Amino acid sequence: MKKILALILALVMALSLVACGNKDDDGGKDGKTIKVGLICIGDENDQGYTYNFIRGKEAATEALKAKGINVEWVVKYNIGEDSKCEDANIELAEEGCKIIINNSFGHEPFMLKVAPDYPDITFIGCTNQASWCDDLKNTHNAFANIYEGRYLAGVVAGMKLQEMIDGGKITADKAVIGYVGAFSFAEVISGFTSYYLGAKSVCPSVTMKVQFVGSWSDATAEGTAADALCDAGCVLISQHSDNTTPATTAQSKGAFHTGYNNDMISVAPEASLIGTRIDWSVYFTHAIETIVNGGELEQDWCKGLADGAVVMTDLNTKIAAAGTADKLAAVEKDIKDGKLQVFDTSKFTVQGAAVTNSFALDTNGDFAPDSEEAVFDGAYHESYFQSAPYFALQIDGITWLNSAF
Amino acid sequence: MNKKHEPLIRLAKREMMPKGQVWAIRIGSILLALLLGGFILMAIGVNPIEAYGTIISGSLGKKTALRQTAKIAVPLLGCALAIAPCFKMRFWNIGAEGQITAGAIAASYFALYWADKLPALPLLVIMGAAGAIAGGIWALIPAFFKAKWNTNETLFTLMMNYIVIGIVRWLEGGPWEGRKGSQVIPQFAENACLPRVLGVHCGWIIVLILVVLMHIYMRHTKHGYEIAVIGDSINTARYAGMNVGRIMMRTMFISGAISGLVGFIVASGANGTLYHGVADGVGFTSITVAWLAQLNAFAMVAISGLLAVLTKGAETLQTRLAVPASISEIITGILLFCMLGCEFFINFRLILRAKKQQKEAAAEGKEANENA
Repeated sequence: MKKILALILALVMALSLVACGNKDDDGGKDGKTIKVGLICIGDENDQGYTYNFIRGKEAATEALKAKGINVEWVVKYNIGEDSKCEDANIELAEEGCKIIINNSFGHEPFMLKVAPDYPDITFIGCTNQASWCDDLKNTHNAFANIYEGRYLAGVVAGMKLQEMIDGGKITADKAVIGYVGAFSFAEVISGFTSYYLGAKSVCPSVTMKVQFVGSWSDATAEGTAADALCDAGCVLISQHSDNTTPATTAQSKGAFHTGYNNDMISVAPEASLIGTRIDWSVYFTHAIETIVNGGELEQDWCKGLADGAVVMTDLNTKIAAAGTADKLAAVEKDIKDGKLQVFDTSKFTVQGAAVTNSFALDTNGDFAPDSEEAVFDGAYHESYFQSAPYFALQIDGITWLNSAF
Repeated sequence: MNKKHEPLIRLAKREMMPKGQVWAIRIGSILLALLLGGFILMAIGVNPIEAYGTIISGSLGKKTALRQTAKIAVPLLGCALAIAPCFKMRFWNIGAEGQITAGAIAASYFALYWADKLPALPLLVIMGAAGAIAGGIWALIPAFFKAKWNTNETLFTLMMNYIVIGIVRWLEGGPWEGRKGSQVIPQFAENACLPRVLGVHCGWIIVLILVVLMHIYMRHTKHGYEIAVIGDSINTARYAGMNVGRIMMRTMFISGAISGLVGFIVASGANGTLYHGVADGVGFTSITVAWLAQLNAFAMVAISGLLAVLTKGAETLQTRLAVPASISEIITGILLFCMLGCEFFINFRLILRAKKQQKEAAAEGKEANENA
């Protein structure tokens, strides 16, 4: 017994000797330094949603360094949408973060429990929507007009389909897109509707089938959904879910694909045409710079292609239809200039009729929109009254295979 | 005895060890765990002493940190209390996870649909009662099958977990969903949330009361005695005229009811809503708590506190020193492993081959458990 104790004691002492040592000093340089907290629902291994935030974080750090602002990031990974999120917000606040960013929709209720206790700290809920009505000055929301990017991806898809029709590979009525969606949530509905409208603008006979998988990230279910869609006659797959399995499934089934969040050409070189993603660095740079310089940050921020907040990943020129790059550039320019409205009400119908009115926001808490007319000037204005998407109409030409989710 | 086949190490059951020695082994095991953890921390380039210091200061150093640590300890303690009587009875209830969730569902129903009809106090009482009953019923089902047809309670209780978590997922996306498609159940109204006392939701008072009640129940009541007898030998209990099936069902109902109450505390106090991860592994971690505390209600307070310190400290470790959360989990795992493992050395002694003859002479006649 004594021998063992002596051994342990000796080891502890040895360890403590080794352990003493280097402490690097990094603060106190020229320029301004700010501590920013980032709370993520997943981690970068998802190669999708959270990975996209981490990319944004790194690009923003570089951009701010060039402006003489040093950002010290504190990142919390795999924080669920429960009181752990509240704890993470408290912890980051106590650690001296001046800005705390929550990256998932379900984080916001917990962020709002902490925000009143730290009025000097800026709390940001990405993809969320409460800041315009929560009576707190230090809460903010942000999103990007991803529907613009989706419209462009749809154009690429539509051109491919039209090429297949013109080349006699499929008949016009067989131009069917399969869409793997996470949930029947406004963000998803808005996304696949804009995608469909983009495709339809260059391939008038296109139709779309949507399969919801009931999860934001479930590699197996997403692959299975893509598989089922291919079996149901879809010749092109797109997705609003986190994994690359729809891309690989499309490739193995001989279908084409367009992606989200990440460039998926490397995993499916014979199928993936293009992808679109939000570039969070634009917002992060803007928000951090504003706070550091003592400015007032908007409570609700939403920018699109014109400001670089939405970007397209590389076009797979090997398999894309001829002339896609030129068309893409032209349409992108029209969207940036405001000449083209994605949700142009003359371009789609709901149950055979054009849409003339639809409310954007819910003000009484029953989760049914009751305020702010979104349809005006011949278009449905998405992300206009708040950054979080609210377009939830079921337009003609898109079939929901299931809506349980 | 055939000397050729004599094993290198043999195990022998120990007689009562002196208290001082028992504690020396326990403290030694903790030191060993800290040492092993230190090597892992060094391997990833973090100063172990600074890391351990961060764990302590991050969990206990500030008022806000202390509150968060207490909040983590509350469900662990409550749930350990819940499973203690089952384990005492040698009924392996690993379904506390589901019982917590069942309780949370029932409590949430009243929080969502009765909040506008009732003031805070009666509403909270109804929520707590509903949670306890739902948790109890969820636990009663496997107990009933065990009592009637002697089904395997370990598998049964485990599988009941997935069913009830599935129900919450359905509620999240279905009838109780807030914004369409969001998969999020709205936050409860103010009067359906447990009030705070000293900065932490008052669930901590409830579980501390439960500690005392459970101690009395296990040590000083006829029920507690019956549970202990069944745990030692079902046949003895039968011979003594106890209705074993009935006692099992009663005990499981009580166990599930406490778990259900914990579910209510977590949903109403900590989260303010229902979420499919409401149990968050507490139903499993609390088994460790109960076992480490050797089913002693007061020891559970300390053990759940220790685990909460480690959990909260690990968060701060990640925040301050960028130590990945998985490393913290490894360190916690090593600590628990050593603490549970040292009980083995308290109950058994190892006999090496070379030393055998002397030892045998010394401990003559002691039944050695040939275990090789």
